[in-house]
Amino acid sequence: MQIGPIWRALMRNKTGAILIALQVAVTMAIMVNAISIIQSRAESMARPSGVDEPNIFHIVSVGYTEDFDERSVIEQDLAAIRAMPGVIDAIQTNSVPLSGGGWSMGLQTEPGADQDGVGVAVYFVDEHGLDTYGLKLVAGENFTPGDVEWRERQATDWPSTTLLTQAMAEQLFPDNWRDALGATVYINDDEPLVVKGIIERMQAAWNGWDGVERVMLVPQHTLFGSTRYVIRTEPGQRDSLMPEVEKLLADSNRDRIVRGMQTMTETRERSYRGDSSMIKLLTFTIVLLLVITSLGIVGLASFSVSRRTKQIGTRRALGASKSSIARYFMTENVLISGVGVALGAVLTVGLNMLLVDAFGLDRLEIWLVPAAMLVLLLVGQLAVFGPARRAAGVPPAVATRTI
Amino acid sequence: MLSMQNISMVYRTDTVETHALREFSLEVGEGEFVAVTGPSGSGKTTFLNIAGLLERFTSGKYLLDGKDVSSLSDSDTSKVRNEKIGFVFQGFNLIPDLNVFDNVDVPLRYRGFDTAERKRRIEGVLERVGLSSRAKHLPSQLSGGQQQRVAIARALAGEPRFLLADEPTGNLDSHMAESIMALIEEINAGGTTVIMVTHDPALAERAGRNVHIRDGQVSDVETDVQLVANA
Ligand SMILES: Nc1ncnc2c1ncn2[C@@H]1O[C@H](COP(=O)(O)OP(=O)(O)OP(=O)(O)O)[C@@H](O)[C@H]1O
Ligand SMILES: [Mg+2]
Repeated sequence: MQIGPIWRALMRNKTGAILIALQVAVTMAIMVNAISIIQSRAESMARPSGVDEPNIFHIVSVGYTEDFDERSVIEQDLAAIRAMPGVIDAIQTNSVPLSGGGWSMGLQTEPGADQDGVGVAVYFVDEHGLDTYGLKLVAGENFTPGDVEWRERQATDWPSTTLLTQAMAEQLFPDNWRDALGATVYINDDEPLVVKGIIERMQAAWNGWDGVERVMLVPQHTLFGSTRYVIRTEPGQRDSLMPEVEKLLADSNRDRIVRGMQTMTETRERSYRGDSSMIKLLTFTIVLLLVITSLGIVGLASFSVSRRTKQIGTRRALGASKSSIARYFMTENVLISGVGVALGAVLTVGLNMLLVDAFGLDRLEIWLVPAAMLVLLLVGQLAVFGPARRAAGVPPAVATRTI
Repeated sequence: MLSMQNISMVYRTDTVETHALREFSLEVGEGEFVAVTGPSGSGKTTFLNIAGLLERFTSGKYLLDGKDVSSLSDSDTSKVRNEKIGFVFQGFNLIPDLNVFDNVDVPLRYRGFDTAERKRRIEGVLERVGLSSRAKHLPSQLSGGQQQRVAIARALAGEPRFLLADEPTGNLDSHMAESIMALIEEINAGGTTVIMVTHDPALAERAGRNVHIRDGQVSDVETDVQLVANA
């Protein structure tokens, strides 16, 4: 090949080439870091919530009259909903995963105000909790009806048993999470709870929390005035049951309003709406940068082909075939883009270090760097293909016909 | 050696047809030095382009070295140009971004010679045209005469059988023109067939044969005045 003279000729017309190389480098740095951000967002979106999302929906009921008897309404509602054909199970609770609002407390393995607690999300459920959410028990046992108590709004005391997620158990018992089973943990500094069982996975209400899988289930019905029912249906029945449940609740008691009915699918979508738009925006940015860079390459190559028309004719007269003329411009582009991606690799890592430092982003996976170099070299070759073909089409007679 | 029979060349644009060559016939023997003269627009460059396989003609028959070259593929045509033909242009046509050494190297790289062979040849031809000391110079750092010498060196490096020159001295003053003409005569003396288009009757006279083109046809084939006088 003739890399030597192509490089030397390029060095005599540096300006355009340097600008394009810089553009390639900047494009690469932004592209790789954007991909890295997309990756981590997509990863967090892909985390399972632990619950049977496609078949679950939830709805809020608020009593507003003086003589609204919340406890008996909840008992009646649950009995009626659980009896509906197509409903697998239902509970009354305070919150659902990824909903953005819920309770959190601290748990510690030793009593005392001087001990550090581990943050945990709290869901109040009865013995139907596991079944309703579709949770998997990996150790111990579920609550029994006898465990379940009623909790007033102002209550500060806690029942004597709890179920923890494995992630929470790992946090409390780093040596062996199974030690959590049967252990006593303390809430409010010194109120003991015995861990009755451990569930594989369940997410808290906040997707951005680093302890999103630290969850405790507490065997209580809540009398908070506003209550939420979570209903799990047979596959495919969710959408037809939703209006039926809404109607049942609305009709069975006129002293309340029923609102906020939502599928778990929607809840997840809302929870990650920001991330989804971020991914879309970054993808658009990447595509835009690639297009602009390609256009830059096309522009530079076209200019260089027109500037060198006579030279191309002369080369043809001296024995260059069409394909060797095309190859000349393709090679020239490899050299320009090559410098660009080499610089881009440095810039990419630099920018990433900056982002990690300033915004606490994840460090990029290093394989992205060579992959992006390859992609940009390929994009360059595609972009230069048109101008190179035009160069190959310059007739040899140009050598004698133009001065 | 070079044989053209009834070559026609028609340039067509949307509005006009130009008959650049009509029924053009010419034989050039091995080792000849032919000067081509004629008024502007008569078809001299067209003839040279066809002879040098830079353009395809409309009709007729052209044999180069006894071979019909009209049906060769692009890469084969390029190969013939590269191996058998050396071009010298009025405007020198050096590649401005390459130094003298790299300019002479251009056809040798297309030829596929290895580095050592190319270096040997480049140094040889630069020596021959008297520019060994200018190998690292850019064309812009040379005089017109020197540039044309580089172009001739480039044409000679592949040891072609034919040297085609289109007004090689057209852009040079008479002093430089003389030195270029002397170089071409020397090349011809070495056995290379030379076809040279020129406007200068004095230079044309020094060729072995003059071909005069008028309106795309050979108007008369004059043998060298000297030879006629001797006869
Ligand atoms: N690409 C082209 N398209 C159309 N017509 C052309 C083309 N090239 C040459 N011609 C025409 O063909 C004719 C012969 O041109 P050619 O260049 O061969 O003349 P020439 O003898 O070399 O002239 P000069 O002495 O001015 O260089 C001219 O009339 C010219 O206008
Ligand atoms: Mg001409």
